[in-house]
Amino acid sequence: MREAPILVVGAGPAGASAAATIAEAGLPVLLIEQRDQFGGAIHRQPAAGNDSHVWRPARHRRNWAGLMARLQACAGRIETRTETIFLGVDSEGRFLFDDRRAACVFARRPRAAIIAVGAVETIRPFPGWELPGVMSAGGAQVLLKETGRPPEGPILVAGSGALLPALAAQLAKAGNPPVAVLERGRPWNAPAALARLALSWGPMSEAAAYATTLATSRVPYRCGAIVTQAEPDGDGLKVGIRVGDQRQVLRVRHLLIHDGIEPNRTGIPLPDPDAAVPVLLAGDGREALGADAAILDGRRAATQVLARLGQATRRMRSDERGLIRARGFQAALTQALHSEPVVPAPETLICRCEGRSYAELAALAPDASAREIRLMGRFGLGACQGRFCGPMIAALRGQPLPAAIPPRWPLRPVSVAALARLTTDETE
Amino acid sequence: MTSHFFWNGDPVAFQPGETIAAALLRAGLADLGQPSNVPGGRVFCGIGACQACVVAVMGAAPVEACLTPAREGLRLGSLPFVGAQHA
Repeated sequence: MREAPILVVGAGPAGASAAATIAEAGLPVLLIEQRDQFGGAIHRQPAAGNDSHVWRPARHRRNWAGLMARLQACAGRIETRTETIFLGVDSEGRFLFDDRRAACVFARRPRAAIIAVGAVETIRPFPGWELPGVMSAGGAQVLLKETGRPPEGPILVAGSGALLPALAAQLAKAGNPPVAVLERGRPWNAPAALARLALSWGPMSEAAAYATTLATSRVPYRCGAIVTQAEPDGDGLKVGIRVGDQRQVLRVRHLLIHDGIEPNRTGIPLPDPDAAVPVLLAGDGREALGADAAILDGRRAATQVLARLGQATRRMRSDERGLIRARGFQAALTQALHSEPVVPAPETLICRCEGRSYAELAALAPDASAREIRLMGRFGLGACQGRFCGPMIAALRGQPLPAAIPPRWPLRPVSVAALARLTTDETE
Repeated sequence: MTSHFFWNGDPVAFQPGETIAAALLRAGLADLGQPSNVPGGRVFCGIGACQACVVAVMGAAPVEACLTPAREGLRLGSLPFVGAQHA
């Protein structure tokens, strides 16, 4: 019988780093990726046949080339399955996958699993955030990297975080600078946090490059500015904004929003390094520390798995130090861009899938349990399973919304026909 | 030769390797829902998490437009339109 592989879910920086580390140690790897190409969100490659490359920092290009070279060098030990969705772990402990090309579900029993599925963006909701034409900044960035083409017509970028100027600069370099970047935070009010950020050379030189591009493209970067609402306006959107006490209306075609990221944990197995089949999380899916840290974290998870399986490994103290530095950087960034939550207007949609508003959330008892919020409020019951409304509700109620334990599969909708064609690797 | 798939019966051109979402957006098709379906569908998160861009596929299971490479001749539509035709 073939040796059971170590499963790695997600071929972004953390998954690629974990897969390479394990294969380099001589063990077989099963690498699962939902897209047709490796890269994850940060290293998303241009679609095959498209040679227009979006500008990105040299550091990221080098890091990804290095990871791909390592994967290629031990490709014989890595079974890759692309266009394949991880569905979760069933009650028999089998790991289930939806092979979208073959339209069939398959089950495997790996020796260990490293889940590296990245992060999900958080959104602070406002009336109209659910409209066509409103896209997450990360989603728009991924599309830009694939197509090399910015969306046509006026673009507004709003929310909070380092992604906003990065995306705006990439849009500008691709030929369509946004009309403005609205950052809800007021970083100049947090000089101590800014001073700590200034000590991180890599991200700060990246930020300086973005700032230069925004300045030369005359894209205003306004702090303390928020979107209050959006409504349909012909082919585009009429967006209400507030800067301090001033209100203004902008007419745009695209509104790109983003208020940070959180680990993508909905339905993901709980980490259990000591289980018979060890499960570890890696990268932004464990802790949102960014692309550089994800590579270190993938190696850290792989090293932990190898040690658990009795392979001699060397603990990488420099990786641990790198993760601590990344944590410090993210904490300073969070502090610099901090802003108090705003109570949404009653009609604001919170759960897009089920069309549930803030008024309906507010009507629930203040101490409603997660179960009541789901079953009585119908929040988080839709197809996204609360990936977007969950963090919103947690922010508005000031406490996290507990998830189902153990997590339930499937963590993405799966067709009954594909399930009926289930294949397993079991020989007993 | 340009490749096409069909969106609610109308041909949509795509470039090789491109996702369904990229092709729909280039064609100016941002609203993926039925007029009666509020809130409608739209491409949002780009990573398969939000499920807002799930489209019906004639003869197969619905897929996230943002994850799925466009393929020649696919017949796609707003949910639950194509599915409703099976009833």
